[in-house]
Amino acid sequence: MTGSDEHSSTSRRTFLTGVGGAAVTAALAGCSSSGDTTTDTTTSGTTSGTTQETTSGSQEFPVTITQGQMPTTLDPQDHRSTPTDNVVLHTYEGLLSRTRTGQMQAQLATDWERVEDGRVRFQIRDGPTFHSGNDLTPADVAYSINRIVDPDVGINSPQSDQLAGVTGAEVVDGERAVDVLSDGLNPIVFSLFATYGDVMEQAWVEENSADYVSTHMNGTGPFEFSDYEQGVQVVLERFDDYWQDPADVSELTFNAASESSTRVNQLLAGETDVIVNVPPQDISRVQNGENTRVDAVSSSRVIYNGMRYDVEPFDSVEFRQAMNYAVDMQSIIESVLDTFGDATSQPTLEGFVGFNEELSPYPYDPDQAEQLVEDSGYAGAEIELHSPVGRYLKDVEIAQAVVNQINELPNVSASLNQREFASLAGELTDGDITTSPHWYLIGWGNATFDASQTLIPLLTSDGALTSYENDEFDSLIEQAQSESDTEQRREYLEQANAHANEQAPWIFLNRQYSVYGVSQRVSWRARRDERIDAYAMSQT
Amino acid sequence: MSFARFLSKRILQGILVIWGVVTVVFLLRYLTPGNPVSFIAPLDAGPELRARIAAELGLNQPIYVQYWNYLTGVVQGDFGQSYIVAKGLPVSEVVFGRLPATVEMAVAASVVAIVLSIPLGVISATNRHEPSDYFATTFSLVGISTPNFWLGIMLVLVMAIQLEQFASGLPWPVSMVGMLSPPTSGMARYQGSPVLFYDGLRYLLSGNLQPMVRWFQHMALPAITLGTYFTALITRLTRSGMLDELGQSYVQALRAKGLPETRTRYRHVLKNTLIPIITVLGLQLGTLIGGAVITESVFDWPGLGTLLIDAINRRDWTVIQGSLIVIGCGFVLINILVDALYAYVNPQVVND
Repeated sequence: MTGSDEHSSTSRRTFLTGVGGAAVTAALAGCSSSGDTTTDTTTSGTTSGTTQETTSGSQEFPVTITQGQMPTTLDPQDHRSTPTDNVVLHTYEGLLSRTRTGQMQAQLATDWERVEDGRVRFQIRDGPTFHSGNDLTPADVAYSINRIVDPDVGINSPQSDQLAGVTGAEVVDGERAVDVLSDGLNPIVFSLFATYGDVMEQAWVEENSADYVSTHMNGTGPFEFSDYEQGVQVVLERFDDYWQDPADVSELTFNAASESSTRVNQLLAGETDVIVNVPPQDISRVQNGENTRVDAVSSSRVIYNGMRYDVEPFDSVEFRQAMNYAVDMQSIIESVLDTFGDATSQPTLEGFVGFNEELSPYPYDPDQAEQLVEDSGYAGAEIELHSPVGRYLKDVEIAQAVVNQINELPNVSASLNQREFASLAGELTDGDITTSPHWYLIGWGNATFDASQTLIPLLTSDGALTSYENDEFDSLIEQAQSESDTEQRREYLEQANAHANEQAPWIFLNRQYSVYGVSQRVSWRARRDERIDAYAMSQT
Repeated sequence: MSFARFLSKRILQGILVIWGVVTVVFLLRYLTPGNPVSFIAPLDAGPELRARIAAELGLNQPIYVQYWNYLTGVVQGDFGQSYIVAKGLPVSEVVFGRLPATVEMAVAASVVAIVLSIPLGVISATNRHEPSDYFATTFSLVGISTPNFWLGIMLVLVMAIQLEQFASGLPWPVSMVGMLSPPTSGMARYQGSPVLFYDGLRYLLSGNLQPMVRWFQHMALPAITLGTYFTALITRLTRSGMLDELGQSYVQALRAKGLPETRTRYRHVLKNTLIPIITVLGLQLGTLIGGAVITESVFDWPGLGTLLIDAINRRDWTVIQGSLIVIGCGFVLINILVDALYAYVNPQVVND
């Protein structure tokens, strides 16, 4: 609403801000070097001298965020979409959370410990209240977890697989604590709860209809629900009784524009403050805008080319390795992605538990590739890459570059099949490897920052989207998942990644970047997990 | 055949067409590759969750049972529930909630078209082979060949973004240019709620001009974008229709009778030219409602078009079906109305 309400005054203000642009930029640079600010809202103090409108106390600081899509629902446990998460996570909180760079931290739980295999205990914070005015209780926490994992408690939550292995939760007698039960050891249970498992108020959910719960919100977070118009906007307001410091942002509006050029135009015209997915061709427009800047961060999404191990010519390790040597990832990152991407060497991304630092990306070596194709016995192979169009940052352009580079090998001919994402995903996710294309481009986001949540679904024999089968790999993962010693477990995962690097079930492509366009009036830094955290925003 | 009988025959035909639309739209889901469950379920969902989703939505039943359930639902105005776009909400609520915004844009585009095209066509026809005629024919050629999405983006870039910067760089009538330079996109709002024409009118009657101005600012660019093709089309129709009529013998008779030329042109010739144009206008309104999809995306306009695109992108089948059925019904309804109007004006049609 920042732009359209008082249009003429906005243009005056943006003009004034433009004049002070240099000062603001300097201030931002100062902010960015001050380190992690996810839970630290005091940064506004360091820059308050630059703008005269700011007054101390609960000032008015409305912010608008424009995503590509509107949330599918406001029920935090009945969806699996990032645009929805970005809205509901301002209102609902989980037991643990993550910093901007992915480290685990306390949220509604103050302490967490493993009691025994398959049983962990969370101490629930005393003090947070729901926006309805009621206090947070351990019973609410247990109910919320059960609502996700148990279809008999209200809904068929699509998040049941996100809390993998969790079978239920119960309140611990006489203590302000909740025990979470898992089937087996579940070594990553804390990691899961740092990303998933939003806490709702049991009485509120039970008293209201499903319709109401999916169009209203009542959590413990820094913003409370104000208005929802389906397909148009969601408006949240600062919750003054938040258990931490109240947010700087006074009113938070979410809307959506599916066209990236429309989002960029809205940002340039001052109608919104943060936009998602600025396409590389528009980056300079945003960077050169009087009142706008680009903020990019490597995300938790890996882009790769799966090659089915069970079909010719991809059943040959040499052939798969050859494909990796044939692709010049560095040039793709520079020319296609405008440097917004990192080359990968393994399925797991840097900074995740289980990332193997000793591995490096396959170098670009077409001669080696040609030789390996000869060795594989599949010289003259014709292969076809299935790629979605418009699902990931420059997906089809990356696929085109890969195909062209492989085509330069004299003994392989590659072609591209542009696919609609939904039908490609349908073939990949039906749990049957034989219906998948032989060679495909896809991306996988893993917000748990743990290797297992990539390796298990994508590369184990019975993974939901697997393209690979190998007993050695499976046993490494199995050992990791039943290992309670974190160091030993990390070791197994690193070995699994080394195995993947060597056996090359994928062409390892890039780590995707999240590229945001941000108004100069907002001080904020992008997060790795694709979440937009308005609580960390302050006025410049 | 009486008028009433003619009308009831048309309505019956309309109902048959709608039934056809519902059937085709229902079958589309089965003809397109991919199982609906795999679009609804998360990528890594296990078979158990998939089975639960299928059971919950009745997708595990035989197709004729699903068809029968869907058909009986539609007859009662129940289009099912949205799976994805607005999870859990009834499709009818979602679709009909978006309808007014789209109808309003289509009507605004028609108004732009009518206001521009008929005078242009008349001027062009009455000044044949003169500069004004060349201007009008060139305009209509360009208008017909310009793609909507490109025009929309260009209008935003020039009018909203360039002019905005232009305004803030200039010391004088900054506020005035600022007011004229339109917002890039979205729907007008006043005190937090969206402003449609009706709301603007309501405020206007109570003495508040501002919401109406805002409505106009937000509506202008989309209406021009959507109306341009249409303007060009009607200009051509008016021009050729007018030229046809001017060659008729009754025009000679009127002129011979000594009727002033302007009276001949506007009272008689234009009136006769307008009859087929009204038919085209009516039918085009249906096309506009269906065809606003791209313009709505460019202008982030929360209408049926953006809903349909969103639903297609995310494979929310019930919403796709609901939107298509409503658009189809719109067409049928407008056709019946145009037919009825025509039959009323020209009773000969009834007997054909």
